[in-house]
Amino acid sequence: ARQGVRAFSSAGDLKLEKKPERIKHFKIYRYNPDKGGKPTMVDFPVNLNECGPMVLDALIKIKNEQDSTLTFRRSCREGICGSCSMNIDGSNTLACLAHIDDKPTTTIYPLPHMHIVKDLVPDMNNFYEQYKSIKPWLQRKDANPDGKETLQSKEDRAKLDGMYECILCACCSAACPSYWWNTEKYLGPAVLQQAFRWIDDSRDQATKERLEQLDDTFKLFRCHTIMNCSKTCPKHLNPGKAIAKIKSKVIAMH
Amino acid sequence: MFSSQLKPRCFGIVQKSIQSQRIPQRSLIETRRFISDYIEQQEKKGRPLSPHVTAYRFPVVAISSVTNRITGVALTGGLYGIGALALVGLDVPSFMQYIGTSSIGPMAKFVVTFPLIYHYFGAVRHTYWDLQPESLLNKEVEMSSYILFGASGAVSVIASVL
Repeated sequence: ARQGVRAFSSAGDLKLEKKPERIKHFKIYRYNPDKGGKPTMVDFPVNLNECGPMVLDALIKIKNEQDSTLTFRRSCREGICGSCSMNIDGSNTLACLAHIDDKPTTTIYPLPHMHIVKDLVPDMNNFYEQYKSIKPWLQRKDANPDGKETLQSKEDRAKLDGMYECILCACCSAACPSYWWNTEKYLGPAVLQQAFRWIDDSRDQATKERLEQLDDTFKLFRCHTIMNCSKTCPKHLNPGKAIAKIKSKVIAMH
Repeated sequence: MFSSQLKPRCFGIVQKSIQSQRIPQRSLIETRRFISDYIEQQEKKGRPLSPHVTAYRFPVVAISSVTNRITGVALTGGLYGIGALALVGLDVPSFMQYIGTSSIGPMAKFVVTFPLIYHYFGAVRHTYWDLQPESLLNKEVEMSSYILFGASGAVSVIASVL
């Protein structure tokens, strides 16, 4: 219909109004590894009346219409894959779940204190290696009684609720000042919550080893209950609480 | 039926797709070495670090946490400072008396009482969190931060005018 307005430009009696423009500015962090130099902030005006409701819609619109070199990760557009995690107006969330608000400007940074590959794309390899290091799989020492499924009561299964839903978007870890200052040695809230997911799983038989692995100065105990993690989690999980529970268990082990 | 389609003519394409799927796998021992060299490797690639304290909007809980640290450092520094001054011969009790009764008395007292009381109440809160992890919920910890600031501010003011 909008493209059709030009076709009616000769028909003077038709009262076709152009749709009002609602312009919002998006200030986006840019860094080009091929050019090098310092990262910059670039302003992009977007007509919200021609844009979807989420920040990811705006990013895609900018990439399509204004600057096709704008680089960011995205996949599911529904908050389940964890690709589009970034810092929007000061908080870490998924761009596909962050509504565009009415303020005149929105500022978009990549996840804080991460090494940047390009524009809004951080290097996630350290995060993934740390996740691997906690052995995120079921560890059994003996076979099941009747050789079939490892059974679990409803109550035991309920203990995993609020932890198994983690999509490893890294919003929480990238929000943790302790993780900023000790990226290599502190595991961070996402990985620790998953460590607890396996520690608290009644079917797992390596609980003692899992707790012993975390029992040093850095891996677990750099957490100072700042609680930035739980505040920022886009899936409304609570890694801070999970970490406090691991601490209780590790201390009880002594 | 499918395997019969892998005739020599298509064989080259199959081979190429298997090769392109060769993803580097790391053992768990290599993982540890990878992590320890990580920052060095990233900086070698010239990658900048994304903004953190300049870009993040800190919730009040985080502010209360960093205030706890700052007051802790201030208390330690103050203690060492007083100790050092006493070591070089300053008569600390009468010096404190002099400042306390002067015109800047209440303000100077506040500078001492606030770190003490805030850090103490902060430690109480921390102990409660450690003993009752189930209390760590977003709304509750946010409320506790406002209460912490308010209560320690109030008690410090009262202590410094008494």
